[in-house]
Amino acid sequence: MEKNTALAASTMTPKPQPTGLRLFLKRLVQQRMLVLMSVPFVVWLFIFKYVPVWGWTIAFQDYQPALPFKDQKWVGFHHFDALFSEDRFLIALRNTLAMSGINLVLGFVTAITLALLLNEVRKVAFKRVVQTVSYLPHFISWVVAAGIIQTTLAPDGIINELLKWFGAIDKGQEYLFLGKAEWFWGIFGASSVWKDVGWNTIVYLAAITSIDPAQYEAAEMDGAGRLRRMWYITLPGIRPVIIVLLIMNIGYLLESGFEPQYLLGNGMNVDYSENIDIFVLKYGLQQFNFPLATAAGMFKTVVSFVLLFSANHLAKRMGQDRLF
Amino acid sequence: MAKKLLVAGMAAVMAMSAVACSNGNNNGSNASPSDAGASPSASESAPASESAPASEAPKDKVTFTFFNGVAGEKDLNTNETTIGKLLEDQTGVNFKIEHLVGDLNTKVGTMIASNTYPDVMIPDAAIEEVLKAGAFIPLDDLIEQYGPNIKRVYGPYFERMRADYGGKIYFLPFGPQVGDYMPDPNINQGAFWVQRRVLKEAGYPQIKTLDEYVKLVEDFVAKHPDEDLTGMVSLTHDWRFFATSNPPMHLAGFPNDGNVMVDVNTLDAKTYAGSDETKRWLKTLNDLNAKGLFDKSSFVDNYDQYIAKLTSHKVVGFFDYGWQIGNAQNVLKDAARKDQTQDDFVYFPLPVTFDGTKDQYLDPPGWTSNRGAGITKSAKDPARIIQYWDNLLKEENQVLKSWGIKGETYEVDDKGRFYRTAEQIAKLDDAFNEKFGFKTYDWDWPQYGTSSTLSDGNALAPGYQPEVFQMSLTEGDKTILEKYGVKTYAEMFDTPEDRPWFPAWSIPKEQGSPQQIWETKKDDLTKKYFPKLVLAKPAEFEGIWAEYQKEFGKLDTAGYETWYKEQIQKVVEVAK
Amino acid sequence: MANSASAPKPRRLSRRDSSLGDKIFDICNYVLLTCLMIVTLYPFLNTLAVSLNAASDSIKGGIHLLPRDFSLENYKYVFRENTIFTATTISVLRTVIGTIVTVFASAMVAYTISRPEYVLRKFITIAFIITMYINGGLIPNYLLIRDLGLINNFWVYILPGIIGVFNLIIIRSFIEQLPESVIESARIDGAGDFRTFFNIVFPLCLPVLATVALFTAVYQWNSWFDVFLYNSSNVELSTLQYELQKILQNSNTTSSAESAFANSANGSAIKVSPLSIRATMTIVAAVPMIIIYPFLQKYFVKGMTVGGVKG
Repeated sequence: MEKNTALAASTMTPKPQPTGLRLFLKRLVQQRMLVLMSVPFVVWLFIFKYVPVWGWTIAFQDYQPALPFKDQKWVGFHHFDALFSEDRFLIALRNTLAMSGINLVLGFVTAITLALLLNEVRKVAFKRVVQTVSYLPHFISWVVAAGIIQTTLAPDGIINELLKWFGAIDKGQEYLFLGKAEWFWGIFGASSVWKDVGWNTIVYLAAITSIDPAQYEAAEMDGAGRLRRMWYITLPGIRPVIIVLLIMNIGYLLESGFEPQYLLGNGMNVDYSENIDIFVLKYGLQQFNFPLATAAGMFKTVVSFVLLFSANHLAKRMGQDRLF
Repeated sequence: MAKKLLVAGMAAVMAMSAVACSNGNNNGSNASPSDAGASPSASESAPASESAPASEAPKDKVTFTFFNGVAGEKDLNTNETTIGKLLEDQTGVNFKIEHLVGDLNTKVGTMIASNTYPDVMIPDAAIEEVLKAGAFIPLDDLIEQYGPNIKRVYGPYFERMRADYGGKIYFLPFGPQVGDYMPDPNINQGAFWVQRRVLKEAGYPQIKTLDEYVKLVEDFVAKHPDEDLTGMVSLTHDWRFFATSNPPMHLAGFPNDGNVMVDVNTLDAKTYAGSDETKRWLKTLNDLNAKGLFDKSSFVDNYDQYIAKLTSHKVVGFFDYGWQIGNAQNVLKDAARKDQTQDDFVYFPLPVTFDGTKDQYLDPPGWTSNRGAGITKSAKDPARIIQYWDNLLKEENQVLKSWGIKGETYEVDDKGRFYRTAEQIAKLDDAFNEKFGFKTYDWDWPQYGTSSTLSDGNALAPGYQPEVFQMSLTEGDKTILEKYGVKTYAEMFDTPEDRPWFPAWSIPKEQGSPQQIWETKKDDLTKKYFPKLVLAKPAEFEGIWAEYQKEFGKLDTAGYETWYKEQIQKVVEVAK
Repeated sequence: MANSASAPKPRRLSRRDSSLGDKIFDICNYVLLTCLMIVTLYPFLNTLAVSLNAASDSIKGGIHLLPRDFSLENYKYVFRENTIFTATTISVLRTVIGTIVTVFASAMVAYTISRPEYVLRKFITIAFIITMYINGGLIPNYLLIRDLGLINNFWVYILPGIIGVFNLIIIRSFIEQLPESVIESARIDGAGDFRTFFNIVFPLCLPVLATVALFTAVYQWNSWFDVFLYNSSNVELSTLQYELQKILQNSNTTSSAESAFANSANGSAIKVSPLSIRATMTIVAAVPMIIIYPFLQKYFVKGMTVGGVKG
């Protein structure tokens, strides 16, 4: 296809081949329609997303919101030092990485599996009901959801009752699930999946529609079973979306969310539940310390870029689709 | 435009002359509080002469914006309420109130950065930042010029207010004490609570020490083995963790000063988070836990779960502040009102200390010095706002805002005592309070402190008036109070000593200061170690305590205590 | 068209011929999905039950699937103010306008960066992706919005979020999956880029656009932080979610016994509690979003478009 368009372009430009900037400008004029369709939004992007980045300077200041920029006191890397010299920050960093790692893997696997399974459901009505129902928890705020999770996991909650019913534990031995620090990541992962698997599936379902039905017919003719068809047709069909989303999410590894950890966290599991966002809230925003919050944000951005470009590069090397 | 300016100018001139008048009047009747009280229909005596010139001045109606950094009541215009309308008629001023919805520091941060403020604001916990940004205008001159009642009510605190914030008055805290101290008959503050049936079964014993209390709970559970009872629970959820970490201070016989216990004589401020008092308290809980009498899930339950447990009839006792258990206690009381036998499950407050010494659970007259309302530099006409506040502080308006309108929301008997009829009490539900303005004017304005007394001897707060309190009692309430030979719950407790600095936690601390960092870190530590200590096997307790001490030792506690002592000395010095 | 009509035929055939393995697969699949439904339906039913239960009773806990003490008081409390209706209008407006603008703009830009010959393609793609991971912070953003004159302005709900990078990228991926022949044939007919986009690509992208529309609508419907930051002092511009947040906080103080002025001295029965109001506002806010989902579902439940066009 590349060749085709190149050919088309060259047929349109019979004159001597311009090079460099001239070529660029010439093509720009040729593609003015595309330019017109996109550049206004690039301008928008710069205004709304890039202009506020001057705020990063706050991280290097003893920032007083009341003072104009020129009167701020510069303190160099002081706030970064403060951040990294704090033991709790390192624990928070570990917890953040662990939880978003769990979320990434679990989130992808479950959402893709659900999409594949839904695609195999033949009764349209059933499929729609499952889709709608699994989408419901997304609309329950974390505050309410955390309340339900806490009740469910309480010593007199349903999980302990079930365990007793199955004879796995005796009365009096009920687990204090949220009091077991090392279980927190698991509880967090399960809760996140429960809440968002239906929601996360939507994008894959949309991607599946782009698969040519003829492929399934052909596979069926060849006598391929359901599992084989899922593996050889559906999954490859949505691979570009999976990879693109995967790369984007790898860039988000330092964003593990805030609410579930904050709401389900307590003194007993704090060593596993406190993540960067909670740390920044406690020592940044709650202390009116905007520079610390900004420094943490910058740190996250740097890590994101490293991860993002590595993942993208890796995908390129592996010959896969890539983000850019 | 020119015309508008002219009108405004004229209004200002007239307003000034009106105030000059009222100033003159007031000078003549400086002792107005006692004068005013002579007759309950206060509007005929001294205050009337104050308000008369004000109402003669045809003041332009004006609306000011008012941001309240405390999340809470409905956003409204004050003149939509009955009280607010009456006040508007007197002053021509209306306030458009906006309450905080999200995060306070975020909101205040954007205001400061963009240098745009509402006319009046209550920055709540962000007050230091607002002051640092120079957002509040000094009020000294305005008060001098327009605030005779402000001077009367706040006068005794002026020096302290100036000392706290660099020599000027930038905002008016809420609730200076006026007149005699009227204690809250109910226990809204800390206490050790126990189910009433426990006391009934034990023959209403005097419970003074922690050991007695624990034994009471233990014996009761032992006697009722098949009821699946929990001896004690403790509230730990999120910021409410202090319900678990504060008891050592109270058990040692101190009021709620926050993180320090202050010696009345030496003014030494001692933290207790890592002290022997805390160790003793946690060891008690640890023992209870070892005996299966403590609810382990206390450390993971959220607030809703905690409240649900208190209403389940299964929990025998706990420590908490009355205002945190209001919902649970109300549910239990409602049930008791319908069915007398249910009274057994209502909780009763006990003044428990480590060794049965004098308790200090009741709040002494307090002065929350780091909260209040100020006028910002964006305000168009600060004089009008000050005048409104001053007008509100007239005793007749204090009666209006807390008791309402005579014949409608309260009555006066032939001895001049205020009371409410059963119908009036029934009428005062949430919707009514909102419409009438009781909720709007409940707090958040320059006003008398809650435990104040009017000049005629009536309580400012209807809930504190013995006549009103008595009407709220059920048969069960009366029985148990009678058994203990008291008329109010407060009488179960010792009277509070005079502590001019109370509450010490309200002594201004800069955000991000070493003191604040100490507190944040201390919270982190206690939240992490207290559950370990309580739930440990008794043999392991000492080891974990030592570990906790090691971590706690890394904090600059001595510095924190010194800072506090200095501040308290300053306050006491000024108060002299 | 011919293709899509013939598509069901082999399926019917396969069902008749389905092997044992297929049957086992089906059974497992149905069992698994039913379990999933039970687990995901529970929180919603639980919340519904709490919202329909008297607040004074909900406090005691232990409500699961059905209300114990049925009451509509919570809903009455939420709907007692007229502001909630004007706020709903604003919410609907921002959702509709925001969604239309976002879908159209994202699709258009996505189309341009899917064109391999476009010289600015890489630059624009990266410029957009980078913004996913940078954030100037609260205060700079606020000052920008102020300088643009968007404080107390309805358009602050729309303009800052015109294009979400996530949306942009999934649309681009979808377009790249389309057979190049479709676009080629449009070109041969002499269509310019805009016409190709609007007449050919846009309709083909309906499944992914429905997805983006859903994401955007839900985002717009649920957001209240921008109201809090920028428009909080103007009630006319308040949204449903923001009003619900206010009501929740109101219920907090209503239920608290802290008020020393305890104007009703009889400790009257609790009518509202944060617990109940949270449940009620969850339902009130979620129902519209739950209703729109099935309408959008039809765009991506069945594999339509591509094969149809191709044939």
